[in-house]
Amino acid sequence: MGRGELRKLDTRIKTIKKATLELKQLSGGIQAIDRNAERILASVKMLEINVSDVKDLV
Amino acid sequence: MEWAYERSKFHRKLYQEAGLEPGDIKSYEDIAKVPKVEKSMMRGIQRKDPFPYGDALCVPLEEVTEFRQTSGTTGTPVYQPDTWQDWEWWAEAWAYLLYAQGYRKTDRVFIPFGYNIFVAFWAGHYASEKIGCEVVPGGVLDTEARILKIQELRATAMMATPTYVLGMADTAKKKLGIDPARDLTIRKITCAGEPGASIPSTKHRMEEAWGAKVYDHVGATEIGAWGFECSAQPGGLHVNDGLFLTQLEDIETGEIIEEPGRKGKIVITALDRIAQPCIRFDSKDVAEWSKEPCPCGRTFRIIQGGVVGRADDITKIKGVLIAPSAIEEVVHSIKGLSNEFEAIVTKKGDLDDITLKIEILPEEEKNQEGILTQLKDQLRLKTNLGYNIEVHPFNSLPRYEVKAKRFKDLRKHG
Repeated sequence: MGRGELRKLDTRIKTIKKATLELKQLSGGIQAIDRNAERILASVKMLEINVSDVKDLV
Repeated sequence: MEWAYERSKFHRKLYQEAGLEPGDIKSYEDIAKVPKVEKSMMRGIQRKDPFPYGDALCVPLEEVTEFRQTSGTTGTPVYQPDTWQDWEWWAEAWAYLLYAQGYRKTDRVFIPFGYNIFVAFWAGHYASEKIGCEVVPGGVLDTEARILKIQELRATAMMATPTYVLGMADTAKKKLGIDPARDLTIRKITCAGEPGASIPSTKHRMEEAWGAKVYDHVGATEIGAWGFECSAQPGGLHVNDGLFLTQLEDIETGEIIEEPGRKGKIVITALDRIAQPCIRFDSKDVAEWSKEPCPCGRTFRIIQGGVVGRADDITKIKGVLIAPSAIEEVVHSIKGLSNEFEAIVTKKGDLDDITLKIEILPEEEKNQEGILTQLKDQLRLKTNLGYNIEVHPFNSLPRYEVKAKRFKDLRKHG
């Protein structure tokens, strides 16, 4: 996979992260949203490690 | 380093004493200036506030979701806090290794592990799920029940220490009349906790007993699963260069070793661990880089022959440097010997003395003389030492379910 494709993936990862952080902000303290958003963010971090952090090294 | 410097009193003090700030690290070469952390240092800071982790904790205590501790093989156990993100990262590291060993969604993975405060197979469990395997937790079942469950469910893969892999095969044959290679469907075994899966004779015994490929992996509670054997079995372990910075250092001088064929100790940084960072952790594992690329195609570097010993395990007996794994390699290479043995080093006057306790398989007792001659010759050849050999009745030496303690150096205790 080339740098261009990795950048496209990175853009989508950023979108997921932004949307998840917005979810947390809008949750009004609803536990079901907060706890699942936390888990999404942990998974997003793994996407960042595997894609975003290395996109410019290829 | 910046993360730890800003949040952990322990790390900040360590770096300040070395005259370093995060901004001082500008190149790959600069990393060697960062002081190493040893397990003994972690012992010193724990059991204090924030309880029980002490000053190296980098997140608010309420963000810690996982407690694990080391097995205490070398002293007081060390506690390891992890956040949920850290735990995702643990599973990610294990997912790398399991996928490399051929684990796929079609696998039914049996985990014959007493789920508890130790981390290894918890991470294997979660990583198997992450890959999409079906996971069968073999928790509190006894060995016989585990074997019968593997048979009942036609499990295709499992994870255990080498000692337990061999112990299960013995139990299956002798108590249940089950030949694992013929009657069970396990075809992949991932080992952890002991070096056996990288010791050729021990690996051969396991693969023959189970009719399965046996793969090694290496890791530690404070670090993560940093190295693994892939399905190409290249005679060594890949280091996970994606999630860890793995450096090999000369044991005496601390010089970074980049060239193949020269032994050193592994110093590791886990790149994304946040609750209790792992920065230049002195693993004490002794290894050397391989010069050959792996046929699997991965570009992750390979340590030849896996971890060949621990810097604090390699000991001098009668003036000869020896790693306990060398004795295991010899004992397990001799067909008539059981899997169990004990090597005990004592001092008689000023002289070192080493006794090797072994068991001969009941069906091989008629060949005892030839087996003992072969054993003494191989020990002399491979370890340069003479041993007092004691033959003990079959099944009389201790059996282990987790990490075996077969090498006992009693000189240190007077």
